[in-house]
Amino acid sequence: MQLSAGEKIMVSVFYAILVVAGLLCLFPLIHIVSLSISDTHAVASGWVTVFPIGFSLHSYQQLFEGTPILRSLWNSVQITAVGVVLSMIFTILAAYPLTRTYFYGRKLYTFAIIFTLLFGGGLIPTFLTIKSFGLLNTYGALWLPGLISTFNLLVLRSFMENIPTELDDAARIDGCGDWLYLAKIVLPLSMPVLTTLALFYGVGYWNSFFNVLMYMNDTTKYNLSVLVQQMIQSQTMLAQMNSSDSADQILLTPEEINSAAIMVMVLPIMIVYPFLQKHFVKGVMIGAVKG
Amino acid sequence: MFRSYLQETLTPYTFTIREVSLIGNSIWKRNLSLYVMFAPVIVFFIAFKYMPMAGSIMAFKHYNFGDGIWHSPWVGLDNFRVLFSTPATIQIIRNTLLLSLLSIFIGFPFPILLAIMLNEVKAMWFKRLVQTLIFLPHFFSWIIVAGIIVTVFSQQSGVVNELWKSLFGHSFAFLYHEGSWLAIFVSSGIWKEAGFSAIVYLAALGSIDSSLYEAAGLDGANKWKQIWHVTLPGISSTVVLMFILSMGRVMEVGFDQVFMLQNSTVSNISEVISTYIYKIGLMGSQFSLTAAIGLFESIVSLILVIITNRIARKFGSGLW
Repeated sequence: MQLSAGEKIMVSVFYAILVVAGLLCLFPLIHIVSLSISDTHAVASGWVTVFPIGFSLHSYQQLFEGTPILRSLWNSVQITAVGVVLSMIFTILAAYPLTRTYFYGRKLYTFAIIFTLLFGGGLIPTFLTIKSFGLLNTYGALWLPGLISTFNLLVLRSFMENIPTELDDAARIDGCGDWLYLAKIVLPLSMPVLTTLALFYGVGYWNSFFNVLMYMNDTTKYNLSVLVQQMIQSQTMLAQMNSSDSADQILLTPEEINSAAIMVMVLPIMIVYPFLQKHFVKGVMIGAVKG
Repeated sequence: MFRSYLQETLTPYTFTIREVSLIGNSIWKRNLSLYVMFAPVIVFFIAFKYMPMAGSIMAFKHYNFGDGIWHSPWVGLDNFRVLFSTPATIQIIRNTLLLSLLSIFIGFPFPILLAIMLNEVKAMWFKRLVQTLIFLPHFFSWIIVAGIIVTVFSQQSGVVNELWKSLFGHSFAFLYHEGSWLAIFVSSGIWKEAGFSAIVYLAALGSIDSSLYEAAGLDGANKWKQIWHVTLPGISSTVVLMFILSMGRVMEVGFDQVFMLQNSTVSNISEVISTYIYKIGLMGSQFSLTAAIGLFESIVSLILVIITNRIARKFGSGLW
């Protein structure tokens, strides 16, 4: 189709706006990378914009030597790995029965689950409930209440509902029970959406902040989020770190260390993101259209 | 339910009574294995969703640690009376509404516009590249985003302030003035979520029948008219749906974002329900009082969703 001059202008304006939008998302990140590896002097004088000026890894050195970041990194890995496995298992176990038409009470359960999206118990009663289960100061307080995200459950359910029923019928005739059918047919067919949900759960656990802050009393159990938050909010901690250093070492700016800490949190996401991106676009779209 | 299931699935066939009872048996057996799967799920929803929901009755009690939620003494509406007669809580509710309404109304068009523009892009590599970039911020936590903001707007050597200095000759404490704080708050929310929220609209756009565009083109509609008469009506039900869902969130301002960005200088506008519950409830042990404000929040949200859904249903696109 031939585009008129006006249409051409419109489409090029669209392209231009999208380029700006993409760059707006990219620039802050590049800026942080550059701050974290630039020379202290350049950072302190505010010269660093897009590209790094000079090169030094002092910020990372100080971050790993002067703060408990390795421990919180390990905590974050633990929280995420165990959390994703548990959440995936139970989300699958929740979604599959809800797609079976012969499941007694299906409508009631679906309603009860959707209702939790509309009305929640609130922070304080939830906190006290979890406390009464004796989960305070254990990672159970992160894994158990977050076991099933209602939204993810609904996405998976709508995906599974779309699997043709002929497959089910055929499997029945072959004497295939629900467990076997779920494992052999439903799960392999649901791979794109399962990858998406694993990504969502993974990012959720990796980024979890408020729950850790609320349920963990023991600072050695803090994850990266809480540690980085405390670094950002208490510049005094950095001041102390700096003053305890030997005199010949250069004083680092808070910007540098914060940037390095942000990079430690961002990097794992950046590494996984490209591999999973094509899946989640597909997966979310399926959930979005049907849900 | 069982009978209707049999009728639905089996009417095309004829069965002897023995065969039907066999199928009935196997349905029992199949339900057994389904219930083995589903039992932990039921336990989960009761323990972590419905028990806290029932625990909300503590809003009508005077909670103390010794008696727990269930045995603490009733106080009727006392907690609510205290809440609504304290100027501080009124202001917190007002702040919550201000921040969330600003975020919703200013932020709402962005994902729609992004999706419509992306839909007009014919070069696939470009579309994919832009999508990759604009979806990315969604996966960063508020700790990361706020960390970036604090760094970029820092008064000592932040890049924005360096630019400001070179333009106006003095630095400006962006995060310590109410107006600029509000602007940063709202735009950071848009920066983080607008791209990812566009996915829903992209999905809706993808399901528009392409023959509609061809027909419009044959009728002489230019691109602009096609967007107006085909694209927008094609996603209008999704737009309404997203609007209903966002109405349910009017009473909540995400804790992480406010908590990370707020400081005592701007607390007049930055203290919201969630941060109040955290500070006064959890840190200050005012459990009943903050449970009351939490319950108030939940109920108002539920009512708002129901009302918007009613209105949406009048236009034929309700959520239920």
